[in-house]
Amino acid sequence: MGTIKIGLGQFFCLTVLFELGTALVVNLGMESGRDAWLSILVGCVAGLIVFTGYAYLYRKHPDMPFTAYTRQLLGKYIGTPVAILYIILYINLAARDLRDGSTMLAMATMHNTPLFILSTLMLLSGAYVLHKGVEVLSRTSVVFALVVMLIGLFGTIMLVLSGSINLHRLLPVLENGLQPVLVSVAHQNYMFPFGEMVCFTMLMPYLSSVKKGPWVIAAGILFSAILLSFTMALNISVLGEDIVERSPLPLMPTISKISISDFIQRVDIFVVMVLIIGVFFKMAVFFAAALVGISELFHMPFRRMLYPCALIILFTSMLDARSFTEHLDEGGGLLYLVYPFFMLVVPAVLVVMAAVRAHFSAPRPG
Amino acid sequence: MNNMKLMNKISVFPALLLALLPLLLLTGCWDNVELNRRAIVSGVAIDRGPTEAEKYRLSFQVIVAEEISGENARGISPVAMYTGTGRTMFEALADASRQTARFLSLGHVRVLVVSEELAREGIKDILDVLERESDTRLTSLIFIAKGQPAHELMSTMTVFSKIPVNDLVEKLETTSKQFGYNFRMEVDDVIRGVQLTGGGPIINGVFTSGSREGADTNDNLKSISPKNILRISGLAAFKDDKMKGWLDGDAALGTVLLHNKIKEFPVVIKDKEGGYLSFNVYQSQVTLKAAVTDPEHPVIIVKIRQQAAIKESANSLDLTSPEVLEGLSEQLTGETIKQIKAAIASAREFKSDYLGFGQVLQRTHPRGWKQVKDHWEDIFAACEVQFDADAVIRHTDMRSNSFQINK
Repeated sequence: MGTIKIGLGQFFCLTVLFELGTALVVNLGMESGRDAWLSILVGCVAGLIVFTGYAYLYRKHPDMPFTAYTRQLLGKYIGTPVAILYIILYINLAARDLRDGSTMLAMATMHNTPLFILSTLMLLSGAYVLHKGVEVLSRTSVVFALVVMLIGLFGTIMLVLSGSINLHRLLPVLENGLQPVLVSVAHQNYMFPFGEMVCFTMLMPYLSSVKKGPWVIAAGILFSAILLSFTMALNISVLGEDIVERSPLPLMPTISKISISDFIQRVDIFVVMVLIIGVFFKMAVFFAAALVGISELFHMPFRRMLYPCALIILFTSMLDARSFTEHLDEGGGLLYLVYPFFMLVVPAVLVVMAAVRAHFSAPRPG
Repeated sequence: MNNMKLMNKISVFPALLLALLPLLLLTGCWDNVELNRRAIVSGVAIDRGPTEAEKYRLSFQVIVAEEISGENARGISPVAMYTGTGRTMFEALADASRQTARFLSLGHVRVLVVSEELAREGIKDILDVLERESDTRLTSLIFIAKGQPAHELMSTMTVFSKIPVNDLVEKLETTSKQFGYNFRMEVDDVIRGVQLTGGGPIINGVFTSGSREGADTNDNLKSISPKNILRISGLAAFKDDKMKGWLDGDAALGTVLLHNKIKEFPVVIKDKEGGYLSFNVYQSQVTLKAAVTDPEHPVIIVKIRQQAAIKESANSLDLTSPEVLEGLSEQLTGETIKQIKAAIASAREFKSDYLGFGQVLQRTHPRGWKQVKDHWEDIFAACEVQFDADAVIRHTDMRSNSFQINK
């Protein structure tokens, strides 16, 4: 570790693409109805608070990934199993995102292509980039962040010009009070996508600046939250609350409403591009986190476990559920019951341990 | 040396394999259907079949690409119509597909026409497939065939486009400026309309006028006056997903004004001496608000702002006087208020809040809305409507007074 350093700009782009990931195209936060955009922002604040915990751990151990300091803080006998659990978590998350992505692609455009082929192709592209190294992944993210931004800008301008936006559909704000927003945050939004930042604890040792790094990532989280919130508000103002709630991929029908003089139309393929880019980065970051963990824990080269790991991800994603509905249902359960343990409880324990240790080992005056 | 050779032998084979692998992947998408295997559907007509097994009768207007442009034109009809029946829309599509040599491609459907019979029975069952299917577009326009089978609208030759559906779409865009009141009504507008509490969507009406004989052949166009003409007129008013009746004239225009969907339209008013004046309204903004002191008795405030120009004034009015213009602009707003009142009266007659008054209340006063949501129909039938109208006549076009004034 520590030989490769990744610049702050690249980390920012990687964070943004990771956060946008699948969240940009799905109906995020719709539990709170037309206030979904609000619950995303509230979820982001919660996510940032959680992230300060991760940042604290990073500041204490700037050269170690998460799996290394669990052992240092919890001891060898508790720390190692916990580290292994985290590696499994990352593999699971990568597999779930792969399944999300391939099924959405199959739903949106490629009806006849077998899921297995879609998954394999998407995973191979990710594995190839990681074969080249994490720094290649982060450099790729700069290019694709630009592409996603341009598509977003284009889509927004075209929607405004085609007159499909009706801001009345966002009203009334907070019809049922704050409660549905908070329920949605508690059920989903602080975890998805913001809590998933836990995997960045594995990549933060690559940061080129210990001091500024966490700030840049936090800025990336905030920026992506604003984009997500804006996109959801756009979806609702174009389609109305009900249609968004019932669409697994509301961005598709939203963008398909673009029609300028019957000339510029059918641009929904852009959404498919955004979907592929998002899934690619989300999966690749989880994949990278798992690989960094394995190589650190078992002292083996980063690349050796790349293809075995890819196979595990591929088959986990294929076998995880029979139908997409089952997959989503399972995801909801995991989000509510399992992930908080990894994303909140364990890091919280570690933060406390690190703070206690810092307190007692600090040189005392006198 | 020997070593090098061995290395080469080992690495050439996998390299070759690797080079061949992309060939498998780059042949194209799994799902691709080449253009010459597709039949592009431009419009779909949905009729109610006679029995449960043939509940939906779908007629597809398919573009015959060679006839539209290309050297291979055979002088046959530029579009062809195929009809399929089934218990569901999807089955009917498959039934029609079997009659064609190519895949019916629904990605470019511009118009959907639903027969009045089916609309009166309820349209909610047909909407599901339209929004669920990823090929069809939400931007397709929906029409109701006024008093005739929907498939007749798909089989009428038109003058201004080889593809009849395109003619219909162009007509929709010009109608609102020519004393018409129809506006773009797309699939998602209808879906949102169906879900309006106590209300429903409004959908454009379409019909053919003239003799149906030979309407589906080029004979229709051979004489100077086409025998059969596609026409857009009337608004079908719905309660939930069931059609209740037609709106015409003032009531229809008022309804569209209340939706603020029409920005430019002509108006004719009667002046005091019994003649008529024509205006063109260039800018029209209608906004709705609800003043709520007691949710059981909300007051809907209709705010109208219009800018107009005089187009025709064949009388001896002194149009150089601002007072006269002021008087005329009052008559103009009076006309608009009359239309909106007619619209509200019809909506109350159909007992359907397709005007969206409930939504206005929900937006401005969500708490009050929750109290009255369940019995909104009763409140809608009785609630007070106030008007706040203002119109400006910007100019009198190229002349001030009419030549008749000097007589």
